[in-house]
Amino acid sequence: MNDNILKANDIVAGYGDNTIIDGINLKIPAHKISVILGSNGSGKSTMLKTFCRLLTPHSGSIALNDKSLQEMKNKDIAKSIGLLPQNSIAPEGITVAELVTRGRFPYRKFMCSLTTEDYAAVKEAMEAMKICDLADRSIDELSGGQRQRVFIALALAQQTDILFLDEPTTFLDIAYQIEILDLLKELNRKKKTTIVMVLHDINLSSKYADYIFAMKNGMLIKEGIPSDIITSQTIEEIYGLKSVVITDPVSCSPMIIPISSHDDLTNVS
Amino acid sequence: MIDNSKIFANIKSHRIKYKIILTIMAIILLILVCLNMTIGEKNYSLMEVIHTLLSSENNYIIMKLRLPRTLAGIFCGIAFAIAGNTFQTLLGNPLASPDIIGVSSGSTVAAVFCILFLNLNRGLVSFVAVLAGAVSALLIYKLASKDGYSTNRLILTGIGAQAFFSALINWMIKKASEYDVPTAMRWMSGNLNGITTDTLPLLIVIVLLALITMTYLSNSLQALELGENYATVLGVNVDVTRSLLILISVVLIAFATAISGPISSIAFLSGPIAGRLCSKNQINTIPAALTGAILVLAGDFIGQNLLPTRYPVGIITGILGAPYLVYLLIKQNKGGSI
Repeated sequence: MNDNILKANDIVAGYGDNTIIDGINLKIPAHKISVILGSNGSGKSTMLKTFCRLLTPHSGSIALNDKSLQEMKNKDIAKSIGLLPQNSIAPEGITVAELVTRGRFPYRKFMCSLTTEDYAAVKEAMEAMKICDLADRSIDELSGGQRQRVFIALALAQQTDILFLDEPTTFLDIAYQIEILDLLKELNRKKKTTIVMVLHDINLSSKYADYIFAMKNGMLIKEGIPSDIITSQTIEEIYGLKSVVITDPVSCSPMIIPISSHDDLTNVS
Repeated sequence: MIDNSKIFANIKSHRIKYKIILTIMAIILLILVCLNMTIGEKNYSLMEVIHTLLSSENNYIIMKLRLPRTLAGIFCGIAFAIAGNTFQTLLGNPLASPDIIGVSSGSTVAAVFCILFLNLNRGLVSFVAVLAGAVSALLIYKLASKDGYSTNRLILTGIGAQAFFSALINWMIKKASEYDVPTAMRWMSGNLNGITTDTLPLLIVIVLLALITMTYLSNSLQALELGENYATVLGVNVDVTRSLLILISVVLIAFATAISGPISSIAFLSGPIAGRLCSKNQINTIPAALTGAILVLAGDFIGQNLLPTRYPVGIITGILGAPYLVYLLIKQNKGGSI
């Protein structure tokens, strides 16, 4: 397993003339789970899109092992960087196994049918996401949680060392959220896959992340391990929200309790 | 450990099914070719036809009427079908066929104008038609993406453009001299009458080149089917691939239109029919192409031989397309999007 180091150098990016990210430098820790936190509009999704080439930066560059992505071949990048986008569409009526197989695109050669390696990779991806029993089901008839696992498997079939996920738990109930994050953690521990996620839930981020990037107004304001970032001071800095941080009794990670303007604060020390 | 064969059993069986269906389609096409070559005003036996073809004997009906007609039917069918299927796949919507969203009629407008008013030769007409098709595709795209692009808006804009172009075509035909009207009627609905051998080689070469390029790009097309984001992440050069696919489709439409006129519904129907026959995951270009050729030849055979009066092929295929359009509109309306 080689260390694929992904770096952002002085990234300025946005949509049209609208600059959203303004000069970000960061290095994704290899083989770890990183979470990008930030309020709405802070530029975290924009950052993710820039890393995955869905958005061309106005200036600056993304470098994989010190080589700018712009100098690399599309298919070579596709073998190193995978993504679960926020909205995934599937062709109507396609089955789970068929969809996951499409993740093999960067490895396929002209006019060749799927190889043994292709089948092995697809199978491994489906096993990792525990969707083998869904293989012949049509995507249209799956639940939200199952669907999300199928699309993660599609990204896994791409066999990349780095996997980005844009809000993988949105629209899922709490049990599915934990299920997805557990599967991702397992993947990270077993295959040493570098995982970078945008998450909205601070407590889940704290529970699952090895490293957190905190963004505000298009800038990276803080980065570090969860216990350094999840403090009432930093949370207020990022979200402008007052909170109390306690220790999660189960995982011992920091956990925030937001303070509402209706709360009675006399009991809080 | 889960058995490989279990997960992929369906993928493999679909692939076998795909090959069987392709074979059946090829056989049907061959039968239709035989029917179209042998049956008509004067009937020939299959042996006579084969003998004539092999010896290049000077049989006017076979060599100058039926052979060009059949070849034009096959290759125009393929051209319309591939173009339609590519648009539908790229835009992820069966309504987004070039004959529904105005691209075909953009070509037709130019072709009609060149033929009726400028009296240009066929080669030049095709060239202008390609240009006009590309310009109208671009125009419709620009109009639809004024405040942010959406496929639904593209389809609605396209249907509007289609209506506008149809009106233009009708107007030009009204203005044309009476002598030209029979030729001009070809542009109302496609027609295989009066096709001469000299127009065919170019069409055949272009269709074959397009088929090869499309097959080469078919994996990318499958990736694009998952949306622009996925295609980029999977390593497709989205802008280049998409432009190339659209350009090829417009060229196909324009060349075919310049020869047979816009044969209704072939572009619109072939992809969905082929997609339904084969599994969704298969590369749809070849089955769609065969479906297109079959539809045109079958339509022409019915129009020429099985009805009390002779009808142009476009009218027969149009009858097939209309109910499907209504069905799609009703179905997609239920889903809340066009």
